Amino acid sequence: MSVRTAQFRSASAQAVADPKLQTALERVMGHFTEARAHAIEEFPGDSWEQLRERASAIKAHTLEHLDYYLELVDKSVTRNGGHVHFAADAEEAARIVLDIAKQAEAKQVIKSKSMVSEEMELNRRFEEAGVEPVETDLGEYIIQLAGETPFHIIAPAMHKSRQEVSALFQQWLKSAPTNEIKQLCAIARDALREKFRTADMGVSGANFVVAETGTVVLVTNEGNGRMTTSLPRVHVAISGIEKVIPAIEDVSLFLRLLPRSATGQRITSYNSFVSGPRAQSDEDGPEEFHLVLVDNGRLNLLRDPEFREALKCIRCGACLNTCPVYRKIGGHAYGWVYSGPIGAVITPMLTGVKGAKDLPYASTLCGACRDVCPVKIDLPRLLLRLRQREAEGDPARERSSTWLERMLMGRWSNAVKTREAMERSARLGRFLQRPMERSGRIRRLPVPVLSGWSRGRDFPPLARKSFAQVWRERLAQEPSE
Amino acid sequence: MTTQDPEAKAAFLQRVREAIGRTAPLEYVPDYPPLKSAAVRQEEKVRTIEARSLARRDRIVETYLENAARAGWRVHRVWSPEDAADAVGDIAQGIRAKTVARSAEDLFRAVDVDGALRRNRANPVVLAAGRSRSRADVRRLAFEADMGVTGVAYAIAETASCVITPRKGVARVTSLAPPVYAAIVRAEQVLETLDDYFALVRHQHQRSRTRSFNYANFISGPSRTGDIEQTLTIGVHGPGEVHLVLIS
Repeated sequence: MSVRTAQFRSASAQAVADPKLQTALERVMGHFTEARAHAIEEFPGDSWEQLRERASAIKAHTLEHLDYYLELVDKSVTRNGGHVHFAADAEEAARIVLDIAKQAEAKQVIKSKSMVSEEMELNRRFEEAGVEPVETDLGEYIIQLAGETPFHIIAPAMHKSRQEVSALFQQWLKSAPTNEIKQLCAIARDALREKFRTADMGVSGANFVVAETGTVVLVTNEGNGRMTTSLPRVHVAISGIEKVIPAIEDVSLFLRLLPRSATGQRITSYNSFVSGPRAQSDEDGPEEFHLVLVDNGRLNLLRDPEFREALKCIRCGACLNTCPVYRKIGGHAYGWVYSGPIGAVITPMLTGVKGAKDLPYASTLCGACRDVCPVKIDLPRLLLRLRQREAEGDPARERSSTWLERMLMGRWSNAVKTREAMERSARLGRFLQRPMERSGRIRRLPVPVLSGWSRGRDFPPLARKSFAQVWRERLAQEPSE
Repeated sequence: MTTQDPEAKAAFLQRVREAIGRTAPLEYVPDYPPLKSAAVRQEEKVRTIEARSLARRDRIVETYLENAARAGWRVHRVWSPEDAADAVGDIAQGIRAKTVARSAEDLFRAVDVDGALRRNRANPVVLAAGRSRSRADVRRLAFEADMGVTGVAYAIAETASCVITPRKGVARVTSLAPPVYAAIVRAEQVLETLDDYFALVRHQHQRSRTRSFNYANFISGPSRTGDIEQTLTIGVHGPGEVHLVLIS
């Protein structure tokens, strides 16, 4: 997916001004947070907290030994008769998948949901190679027809109204107009059933990859994931390298956390566990199985002890749903595959900080994302750290603050260091603000750098008397007891 | 067939290693209990699970059925194989099924589903390749059937899940392609929790080091989506109507 993070400011302003989008966001976002809150009520005391702690610890352990566990994945999958491919970036990953498709002489590929394939722009790459990719998750199918990108990690088409979906189906599938959601689902079902039967290759993502057994775990509701991994002759699973967990017994913990955090379900309708191609004795299933493990910038996060924890993410979307900024601007404004607080953290690290320097500011630092994260990623800390690095000018990055800004900040820091200095500065400030003050407000700060603060709001002037001064006067008036 | 050259793999792993801050591969298994726990301990664990499942069978089955009803399964509790076959026949009649696909498990020797279906004017079709049928034929029959019936490897009370594995005669599509699905579960197949199930899987994996956990699927309710306006809709690609026939 092309990176459009540099347009964050204009894109988010547009989103806020779009009444249709605002209606969609208001309609949907509350459902998610309520469903999640309801789903974790069944855990008494701190038992939910304990699950989060354990999941966080397992993820931390896996990341600290990731080389070991990736090698174990390779061994296990190979033993099961499958093939593992490591890809350094999106380009290499796409080349590997296209090669597999070419070898398999695939003309038509069915896809179940994969965010990494969005990083790779895999659909575009397939089309360029003369292969027809068909998204089979209903939401992904809708946005594929619309020529858009996912709006939300787990609800890619949540910004589309039923009327818009009906219009898309009329245009592409020549179906009759309808406003019945059930009817719309039936139209998609019929259109995709033929594709399921005839596709030569299936491409899926992976929610977890179990190192010990070489198992790809898929968490789905519709059944398209099962179709994709069962019917075509070749199955290719694509996963980020961070999705690995050590042992098959760890799966139960993550299966308790993921659906509850994502949709508020106790479990999703389907969970598929695929460890390789079908056995000789099996009646069906793919003859060929490939697992493509993709870096694409993840080592930047792994290398950095402060940011490594962002790789614990299991992509549930809970931080998006609870984020007051996401709930206002939606997913597209973030400009790349991942949105919301987790997107604001990992996008700069995966695509380069320069183009995405506004993203860490897409947060009020209210801390709601940290509270709902099933693996306890301290997202506000990471967002603050990104801001700090940007302001300080990390050696590896471009320095973005101007000399004037740095000089003023230096002065500010001197002015507030001691009581005397602060009172002196306040007196000076009260004198300087006089010409700017109009009926108790400063409407515009005519000073470079500072003027930005007063662009969208009034600036409160310094009070005529400081708190310390008022306090001293009051003490002097009141007789001591 | 496309494979990656071992040197390229080694170079990739070396980059991962260096990102973590190490230069040489680990010589030991990381200090992580589940990977270390010896096969003996796993054996004990599994025996405990089996004993507990037996001792609390009635409670576990009750919980399973409650959770199943809540998750959208239509529950049919029966007390004999004959009644189970009749229950499947009734379900077929209820939806006016013409053809019903079923797997070719041993279960169907005890549970005469074919007879019950015929009595209800439905035609049973056994879906298993190798019965002079190509995979394409199996697939076509599954997609055209009005209903699918299979047994299960296990059931899990905590999540109301049926665990389907590719045992002999179980085609994956039987429980997936038809619009209605019926699972036949015996009470002794019901496990209490997800942990119990994965402990068993791990035990089997440790005992046979090859392909012990090739494929499994949990079915935990009807196929569903919320992708249009986050409105719950049942029956997208998989069955919208799921029946659970439990034999106590």
